[in-house]
Amino acid sequence: MTVTVPFEFSGRAGEYFKIWIVNILLTFLTLGIYSAWAKVRTRRYFYGNTFLQDSSFEYLADPVKILKGRLIVFGFFVLYAIATRIAVAAGALFGLFFLLIFPWVFVRALAFNARNSSYRNIRFDFNASYGRAAGVFIGGGILTALTLGLGYPYFVYLRSKFVVGNSGYGSTPFGFSARAANFYGVYLVAFVGIVLAIGLAWVLLAAGAGPEELMTGGWLAVILFYLSLGFLMVYLQTSITNLVWSNAHLGDHRLESTLQTTQMLWIHVSNTVAIVLSFGLLIPWAIIRKVRYRLDNLKLLAAGELDDFIAGEQETVAAAGGEIADFFDFDLGI
Amino acid sequence: MIEIAASFYDGKTSRRQEVRISFHPSGLLRITGLESDLVHSLSEVRISPRIGNTPRSIYLPGDAKCETLDNDAIDAVLEFHGRSRWHRSLHKLESRLGWALAALVITIVGAWGLVQFGVPALAKQVAFALPESVDAALGQDGLKVLDRLVFSPSDLQEDVQDQFLTIFDGMTQELTDARDMRLEFRKSDLVGPNAFALPSGVIVVTDELVLLAEHEKELIAVLAHEIGHVMNRHTLRRLLQNSAAVLVIANITGDVTSLTALSAGMPTLLLETKYSRAFETEADEFAMEYMRAHDIPLEYFARILLRMEEATGHGSSTHNYLASHPATSDRVKMFKGHK
Repeated sequence: MTVTVPFEFSGRAGEYFKIWIVNILLTFLTLGIYSAWAKVRTRRYFYGNTFLQDSSFEYLADPVKILKGRLIVFGFFVLYAIATRIAVAAGALFGLFFLLIFPWVFVRALAFNARNSSYRNIRFDFNASYGRAAGVFIGGGILTALTLGLGYPYFVYLRSKFVVGNSGYGSTPFGFSARAANFYGVYLVAFVGIVLAIGLAWVLLAAGAGPEELMTGGWLAVILFYLSLGFLMVYLQTSITNLVWSNAHLGDHRLESTLQTTQMLWIHVSNTVAIVLSFGLLIPWAIIRKVRYRLDNLKLLAAGELDDFIAGEQETVAAAGGEIADFFDFDLGI
Repeated sequence: MIEIAASFYDGKTSRRQEVRISFHPSGLLRITGLESDLVHSLSEVRISPRIGNTPRSIYLPGDAKCETLDNDAIDAVLEFHGRSRWHRSLHKLESRLGWALAALVITIVGAWGLVQFGVPALAKQVAFALPESVDAALGQDGLKVLDRLVFSPSDLQEDVQDQFLTIFDGMTQELTDARDMRLEFRKSDLVGPNAFALPSGVIVVTDELVLLAEHEKELIAVLAHEIGHVMNRHTLRRLLQNSAAVLVIANITGDVTSLTALSAGMPTLLLETKYSRAFETEADEFAMEYMRAHDIPLEYFARILLRMEEATGHGSSTHNYLASHPATSDRVKMFKGHK
């Protein structure tokens, strides 16, 4: 018998605003050192306010480890900045180096995050070899290039499968049941959308015959084109998120994500407007709002009680990989 | 004695057991509700810091932990035993609106002060501490790129060019620590009447500007302004200032860079143009000083500025926050106001 268990989020904008502003102040006063503690407090706030069957999630990372990771990344960044000023070739060398360590960064970031997240005192896990990660990224990259992009949805499928399939909760691994065809379906819709958008822009451009109509028609075409492009980007993001989450299962339990493109687009647009008009003061409100919407649309379809998961054996992970990922603001595809 | 409700997790399975924890003044805590009671001393358990009203974790020796929503009771226990003072004051800071607003004001004033005074002053120190070869290296290919993109060779007659080259040499030679500077003429419909200083010491004057000038002294004023840019090492300082300012802003908006690039990009853009205006003013002052020293009426600079604005049609006539130059009317006032 399946029971639908909703994720509940109890974060409040007013409360988070105060935590946020104190984080900024202390980070500022300590010249950035406090940022590691700020990150942990922020994560703890959001994890701690996320409940599933009356138990909350917990973020357990050690700020000192995060600080070390950040210092390493910062050191690399300074080296990179100096090196590229001296010789342009150094930039390419760094780029190559970064490309080579990318699979490592990816695996380490996911592992650090998962092993420092717990629910009911059982930690999540991520375990994958760097070789397999390199295989996914290099193989997927080559495939995408060789097929002139036709293989890209397959690459996204491989990456999602890699991420979900190598994750676990305690000693129970996650399973991933989506098929490549599902990903192709999403990208096909987006592709048709782009073709329609280009066609519409074309018609609008052609419709304006005289020079003045061409100007207004041109502007209209450009604006419409970018609007539809924005819409399609949000559509892709939303649909892939839904697809990945809804096909992740843990034992006999399943997840279900029901985000809607129009809602997500509205949240993105109104958040941006609110942030700009409030000179950034509404940032905490915007974040809370986004997280709340995402969690309101996430459910666990539980096949029975959640009492029987068993803890797994884990090694600890250094934070450097995660901090590199953070620094470059990677989308880890989940 | 304080007693609270909590959930107990043994750390081996995900089973939840409802328990009660009683804290004794002696520093012992007793957990009841399990098959057998657990007794620990407060010194052997770790309690997570309070963050908002999120559940508190009490990590017991071994892998087990308790989770409770009764934050106030836990705080009372910690206060009674004088533990985790730092975290308790942090929470006080985070939970009072007054403190939060004070933090907001301090952050804004601090960031403003740093960006307004700290960063420019530091950049100036660093720039003048670096050898001049750094400037030269920065702008090595600058002219080549501009030649390809916007400039074509000058149509000016050679004797006109020579006239100004002689004047320019005279100007640079008398500046005591003058660097290698060179004057170049270029034609450009796109740029119109204008002059540029490259960090390498090359100063470019467009044909259009030479034709626009009604008096030799007007061009001397413009040249003095451009020499001011080079002497004050504005390109290097701009580079240093902008990268430092980006770091400051990234530090402050660190949480949001992924939320929207716009909210981080806007202040950076505003700052860049603000710094740029400060440099223009500094170069104006340099020109003013030079003109005074050579008994050139300041009028001349004001006149050519006005004519440049008229010619390009889009001079910064209003004080726009997005403008890279100060408003022409302000600059003209500055030159006309002084004698």
